[in-house]
Parts: sequence; structure tokens; C-alpha cells
Amino acid sequence: MITIKDLKASIGDKDILKGINLEIPKGEIHVIMGRNGSGKSTLANVIAGNEKYEVDGGSITMNGNDMTEMSIENRALQGLFLCFQYPVAIPGVSMAYFLRAALNAKNKHDGKEEMDAVEFLTTAKKVLSDLGLDDSFLKRSINDGFSGGEKKKSEILQLLMLNPQLAVLDETDSGLDVDALRTVAQGVNEFKNDNNTVLIITHYQRLLEYIKPDVVHIMIDGKIVRSGDMTLVHEVEKNGYSWLIK
Amino acid sequence: MLKKIQKHSRSRFEELGYPSKKLENWKFSSSKHLKKYSSNNSNNKDISIEQYSDEYTLCFINGEISLESLNKFIYKDDMTILDIDELKDESICSTSSNFEKEAFFHLGLSTIKSGKYFEFKEGCKFDTPIQILNVYNKNTEELRISSFNIFKLNQGNNISIIEQDINEGSGSFNLSLNKFICADNAILNHSMMYDDSTESNYLGYNYYELERNVLLNIDSMNINSTFNKNFIEIDLNREGSEVKINILNLARNEQHLDNNILVNHNAEHCISFQNVRNILNDQATCVFNGKVIVADGAQKTDSHQSNKNLLLSQNATAYSNPQLEIYADDVTCGHGSTTGALDKDSIFYLRARGIKETDANDILVKAFAKEILQEFVNDNIRNLSENNLDHWIDG
Repeated sequence: MITIKDLKASIGDKDILKGINLEIPKGEIHVIMGRNGSGKSTLANVIAGNEKYEVDGGSITMNGNDMTEMSIENRALQGLFLCFQYPVAIPGVSMAYFLRAALNAKNKHDGKEEMDAVEFLTTAKKVLSDLGLDDSFLKRSINDGFSGGEKKKSEILQLLMLNPQLAVLDETDSGLDVDALRTVAQGVNEFKNDNNTVLIITHYQRLLEYIKPDVVHIMIDGKIVRSGDMTLVHEVEKNGYSWLIK
Repeated sequence: MLKKIQKHSRSRFEELGYPSKKLENWKFSSSKHLKKYSSNNSNNKDISIEQYSDEYTLCFINGEISLESLNKFIYKDDMTILDIDELKDESICSTSSNFEKEAFFHLGLSTIKSGKYFEFKEGCKFDTPIQILNVYNKNTEELRISSFNIFKLNQGNNISIIEQDINEGSGSFNLSLNKFICADNAILNHSMMYDDSTESNYLGYNYYELERNVLLNIDSMNINSTFNKNFIEIDLNREGSEVKINILNLARNEQHLDNNILVNHNAEHCISFQNVRNILNDQATCVFNGKVIVADGAQKTDSHQSNKNLLLSQNATAYSNPQLEIYADDVTCGHGSTTGALDKDSIFYLRARGIKETDANDILVKAFAKEILQEFVNDNIRNLSENNLDHWIDG
């Protein structure tokens, strides 16, 4: 599904990613854990094509297509979805308008017809209900005045509506209370199937009580230093990250 | 009366001369290019207004009212309509002391051919807005066209006025002077829509005098103006009145847009909002000179000023000067100004959902504009403004 080879990236004169190698096959859930400042969110943003970061070397390939130099929107149209850690508020653009614009961009790219208003509303209302959100959510401006939990649910709403091939969840669990965390996790589990892939970036173990990963990676100082299964998570919870630094 | 006003204004203009950049109100607006325009002496009688006029429209042709439109005007029996020359009370024509210092205000007054006084009968409430259509039909180049009208709302009036300019022929210099008097409990919605393709210059002086418990909404959208400078001055003279000003300006190329707003809180318990947004592309410039003066004793004043400028080009320039002068001690007043380009994080967010960069930019420009448009009181004007916005964005 996605293969990252020797990926190096910087912002300004600060090197952040120092040679990331990662392969996530179709149908798997991988987790990247690491301390603050280890480069986890940078990796998520670089995969999504955020132009704030300079790619200094390496490659990102998804389904055999080299995405390293691809535009942000083309990555999304190829099936990549970044669940933002800090979703921006855009006053004046309703969630409904935004979601339809995104869905229709995807349909156009896939050679499908535009989704009509009735079909859109029927689909959206079902997903909103599953996330415990009112229909009026669609009339609100994107993330404007949303609580922390609503922002993350808005990201999951978009994930379920756009149904991408690869979802990168950048600290989607941060700032959530237990109920919101459970709802978000249920959304991710609903999304997951054998044909798509999830990469979760997180600080904490708590999201992993609800979503079971296939592989866990530990990232330190811009590199993946260890990969393993859930026992690695428990070791980190118990002993921190220091023992992993050579 | 008219001759007396004109004589005074001629003399004032001679004293003041054309405004220079040394004057605060003209610091960022050059008036040099306006000197070449000379007063309009053409005959308007042959110009047909058939295509524009319906029973809700008052049509002014090159500054003079069309008798054809006046005759079929549906509300004429609910109003007193006089020539300014017929007014007995000179004070009705007086405006603000600030306009008195403005050379172009006097140039306009000194050269009007006529002026109208419209007084609405007490208690009149019109469901359908009055459309004021200023048709500038110029067969001769470099004309200066002036108009002066006074609108008096009496107790309990609820009136909506939509003012639109239609420019035809050559570019001109349109000097529009208006005074609005609002008695107790009146509601006035004044919408101004400017859309021009003749490279005309617009200079407006709009003065509003408010008594007790008046609600005044001023909505304005301006596109495609080569030069558009609008002075708005409001006197809140008695307690309990409220003013909301929402202005959206769109400019490109070397267009220049300028809003000078002064709200005088002269009485207690009044509220005012100023919301002015400018969207500039290419080498366009805009000016916001917004001022609120809270007089001594105007306690419990609630006043907010906001100016936001979106620059779509590195060569566009916004001058913003929000000011507060407060002489009372129990008031809520705030002002703010922001100028910047489209937010890169927002563009990234939209593109990360598969939306093309150009479409993402357009969505954000529309969102910035719509925050003002959604405040417009009149549904038709809001819809028209949204269409105009779409056309402007499409270029």
C-alpha cells in the first residue's frame, strides 16, 4: 500500500526526518509512537504533501505510484487522507459545502458522476448519527467554534464520507475525553477493512485500547528505531523511551 | 434656497481648493485626476428610463429626478416630495461640520441642477424597498455630475432604500450627496450597490441624523470602481439608537476604494457596529478611515469597529486607520484591523481533501466575503451581491 524509503525532510534549516523507512501493506493498522519533537507529525504532514516542509531525500510510494513530488490534492485524490491534529477553522464555509466539494472532486477524479444533494444528505446524516452529531453540524462553518471533541469527530466524519485507501491519523486522540475517544475509535474501526490501511500517530496507549494495531513503530529523533507488536507499547508505557536511545 | 446654498458652497470651494494629501481624509487618495472633469450642462429630457423603471423605482438621470419615474412611483402618495428650492427651513439642508470642511462636498453642492426632498408620512412602512437608480448617461467625456437629495423619515417609518448606479457612455465623476433624517422609532435600511465598467469615479457624502430609538442598517458592496470614495457620517443624537454598517469592497488592477466613516455617539445607550472588508488583487489600493467619537455623557455606549483586508497580490495595498475618541467613562468600545494574504494552513486543509488549489483559494475568498454579505438586511441585495462576488472571482 505505502512504502517510505529513506525519507528526509526539514523546515527552514532544521532537519526533522532523518531517513524514515516504513512499509505498510494493504489491510494493516500501524502505529507510530514517540516523544514530543521526534518528528511524528512532520512525517504525517510530509506524507500529505504539506509545502511547509522541504523533502531533502527519499521517496513515498502509494500503490506503486511515486507521491514524493505529487501535489497535495493529487495525493488526496489517489486515496490518501490526513486526519489533522489541529484542524483549522474556516469561517464562512459550511461543512456541507466543503464535504460535497471534496466528494465531488474525488468522484470527478474517479470518473464517477457528481453526488446529488439528496444522496449526499442521506449518506451524511447516517454518518453524523453514528458519531453522535446533530444534522445541524452540516450547516456550521468548518471547525468554527467547534469543541476539541467536535473537531476530531469532524475529521472522522470526513474520513467516513471520503472513504480513502490510506488514513493517517495524526494524534487524533489528543485532547479527547473518554466518551469522545471511544466514538472516534469506533469511527476508525468502522472505516477499517481488508482493502484499506491506517497509520496512527500517537503519544499514548489509550487509543490502542480500542484500535488494535498490527505493527508498532517507535520514532526517535527523526528515525524509526524499533518496530514490534503491542508488547512494545506496554514496554514504552512502563519504561518510557530512554531505553530505546542508543 | 438653492441659490443661497450654491452661493455659499461656491465660496467655500474657492476658499478650500482641491484637497491635497496633507489633509487626513485625503492622505492616501489622490484627487488630481478629478480636476479635469467639468460640470454637466447636458439636457436629460431625451433619455428614456423605460428599461430601468418600475413602480418601486425612483430614477435619477445625471443627478436629476426623472418625472416619468416619479409619476408612476407607487409610494408617492405616502410621501411629500419637494424641490429643495421649495424648503422654508434652511436647517433641513445643513449637514455635518466635517462635510462643511470638504472641498468636493461644496463643489458638488455648488453645481447641482436641482435637489429633492422626500418626506415619508408618519407611520408608513413599505414592504418592498424603494429603488433609487442613478443613471449616468454621458455622451460627452469628462463630465462631473452632482446630485443632492434629502430623505426624512418620521416617527415609526420602516423604509428600505436600495441605491444603485448605472453608468453608460463615457467615464465621469459622480458626486453624490445625501442627507437622511430619522425621527424617533424609525427604521432605515440603506443599501448601496456599485458596479461600474465605464471607469467612472464616485465620491459620496452620506450624512445620517438619528433621533431616539432609531435602527439604521447601511449595507454596501462595491466592485469594478476605478475610484470610489465614500464618506459616511452618523450623528446619534438621542438615546437608544442602533447603527450597523456592513461594507464589502472588491478591487483589482489599479482601482482605488476608500471608506471614511465617522460615528458620533452624542447620546446615552446607543450601539454602533462598523464592519468593512476589502479584497484586493493586482495593484489595487483601499483605505479605511473609521472613527467613533463618544461624547462626554454618552454613557453605556456600545461600539465596535472592524476592518479586515485580504490581499490577493503582493502589490496590493491596504491603509487602515480605525480610531476611537472616548470622552465618557462607562462605555464598551472596541476596534480591530487585520490585513493579510489567504491563510496557507486553510489552503492546505482544503487541498488535503482533494480540492484543487485554485478552487481552495476561491472558496476562502468567498468565505471571507460572505461573512459580510450574510449580515446584509435585504435578501435580494444579498443574493445579488453573492452573484456579483462569483462573477468577480471568476474574473
